Amino acid sequence: MISAKSKGVIHLILALRDIHKSFGEKKVLTGVSFTAESGKAFGLLGRNGAGKTTSIRILMGVFPADSGDVLMDGKPLDHKRVGIGYLPEERGLYPKKKIIDQLVYFAQLKGMKTQDAVRACDRWLERLGMSEYRDKRLDTLSKGNQQKIQLVTALAHDPEIVILDEPFSGLDPINAMLLKDVVKEEIGRGKIVLFSSHQMSCIEEFCDAIAILNKGQVAVTGDLHAIKREYPRDRLAIRSPEAGKIAAAFPGRTERAENGELMLKLESPSEKMSVLRRLSESFDIDEARVFEPSLNDIFAQYAGD
Amino acid sequence: MEQFRKILKFELKGYLTNKVFVGVTCFLVAVIFLVTFLPRVLDFFGSEDTGEPPEDREIMLVSGGDESVRAALSQAFPEYEVRLTEGDVKAPVTGGEAACAVELHGLSAFTYYVDNLSMYDTNAQRVSEVLTGLYRLAALAEAGVAPEQAEAIMSAAASFDVRSLGVDQGQNFFYTYVMIFALYMVILLYGQMVATNVATEKSSRAMELLVTSADPTAMMFGKVAASCLAGLAQLVCVFGSALLFYNLNRGYIEDGGILSLLFDMPPSLLAYMFLFFILGFFIYAFLYGAIGSTASKLEDINTSVMPVTMIFIAGFFVVVFGMSSGSVDNPLMVACSFIPFTSPMAMFTRVAMSHPALWEIGLSVAILLGSCAGVGVLAARIYRVGVLLYGTKPGLREILRMLKKA
Repeated sequence: MISAKSKGVIHLILALRDIHKSFGEKKVLTGVSFTAESGKAFGLLGRNGAGKTTSIRILMGVFPADSGDVLMDGKPLDHKRVGIGYLPEERGLYPKKKIIDQLVYFAQLKGMKTQDAVRACDRWLERLGMSEYRDKRLDTLSKGNQQKIQLVTALAHDPEIVILDEPFSGLDPINAMLLKDVVKEEIGRGKIVLFSSHQMSCIEEFCDAIAILNKGQVAVTGDLHAIKREYPRDRLAIRSPEAGKIAAAFPGRTERAENGELMLKLESPSEKMSVLRRLSESFDIDEARVFEPSLNDIFAQYAGD
Repeated sequence: MEQFRKILKFELKGYLTNKVFVGVTCFLVAVIFLVTFLPRVLDFFGSEDTGEPPEDREIMLVSGGDESVRAALSQAFPEYEVRLTEGDVKAPVTGGEAACAVELHGLSAFTYYVDNLSMYDTNAQRVSEVLTGLYRLAALAEAGVAPEQAEAIMSAAASFDVRSLGVDQGQNFFYTYVMIFALYMVILLYGQMVATNVATEKSSRAMELLVTSADPTAMMFGKVAASCLAGLAQLVCVFGSALLFYNLNRGYIEDGGILSLLFDMPPSLLAYMFLFFILGFFIYAFLYGAIGSTASKLEDINTSVMPVTMIFIAGFFVVVFGMSSGSVDNPLMVACSFIPFTSPMAMFTRVAMSHPALWEIGLSVAILLGSCAGVGVLAARIYRVGVLLYGTKPGLREILRMLKKA
């Protein structure tokens, strides 16, 4: 376990309540509310300009909200006591400075003592396989490796809240795997992990709960599985070498999905078992299941115009 | 406070390990070393000097005169080989065979020829003095005065002694000028460095992380204090080594020369210099830092800082003109010595070259101190808002509106 200080796992709840924010005449956030819990990852989704970064900045105390509260366990979030780690979407550190120097600097700014900061940064560099670059200048590293260095600035001070903005962009598959492991560890250690990403597959893989922002408002928020279950379960997704025959057997009720699956519309959800039985008896079926919308579908529905 | 300390340390380390910073400082120290050790080196090689004029002297042609004129000019111009000639004097001068020529029309008038007249060429005046002397001697002889008596009359001069009851501006001028210039250079240089530093952090997006990690006021004050310390360190290196080298070579440096004039400054003035340097530096560095935070590209910096630089340069010129006109207490200078953006230079100059009342100095420093704090807080506010603005540069009105909300 990579921990600079031992805190034990405490259950924390972070909540944004009815946040409003305008810049000049422009209303950026109107009544944004969502709740994230420790030990779980939370996905903050939305198109460009939907208000994700503004929400994150208010959460981090970069500027105050016009109205509304940021609460931790029901009390206003105290930035002096609750550590926040942030991996900004716009990556950037000091290109001309030695890596360990700037990592320690940022850890110190977050309140760590010099010795602890050096130790924690060294541990994280080792964990991410970057120890050999410790004394190099940042601009001598590849983009993916620079991103790993940036990740250290978000995690070295062992924050309670970790905010990762597009964490996987620019990483090769091996590094993406490494980052996934690290994120899973952090979630396992009871951190509140906030994801902001356009890569729906990542959010779907990690996040138990989501909020989709659209034009400064929360279009939908809550447990991802619960959101998916709210959709009518009246379609079967079927993979079969005899898809053509199945389509002929259910005239007017099937259509081909983009991924090649055959979508069969049920007359009602209760028809599911009888149709499944009929399919397995009469056709060669590889897979058949009740269709649930992907996060992509949900996003397209809520974040569209 | 803790953050301020960390930021100060980090930024200062950045300056002190910067190759350009170290290089420039070393270069300046080396130049001072050369200048101060030069008299000693010259003295070492010059000890074999026999007092005879060098062989390859330039030639001064004299036409229309006799041997007595040539001898008198030779004595007055040891740097020239003075030759009598009968012919045309212009051609040799334009042709380069002679450096200059004097065409006499009797003893009371002459024409001085030189190929290109330098700003510092005082030969004509010197020739005039020699000829005037010869003319007067001749006139006295004609009037029947004995040659010895005539010589005595000619060389007589009233002796005098000047005692300034205030400050000797002639003596102070040089080192005041050097100090004002040092102030000017360091503030301009380091102010730009602060602006560039902030804009670099912004354009490299290190700012994204910084604003979420540290308090903007601590960042602003930390950065400015670091650059101030770096500037001071450089000044101390340069002036300190200059003082050291000067004292090492004191015996070899001619008394009353430029170098000894420069180092002959009272310590109290050094203390004033220190005070006005720090305050002047802070007020400008805050402004530069705030401006740096509103630029999203490094290229914008030069145009953005222009208004501040203009104010500063205007202040510098007022002071320099005041100094060279000799009236450092003129109304403009007095006004400037209370305006925070010009007072560091103006009040310092008045302290150095005049004797303003103590209350004037106190008031000027108090105004400057208050403005420094005010500008610092304002700059930190602009910084807080400015660093998160990308894209188009905000106008003054927009910045003011943001300030109200920040």
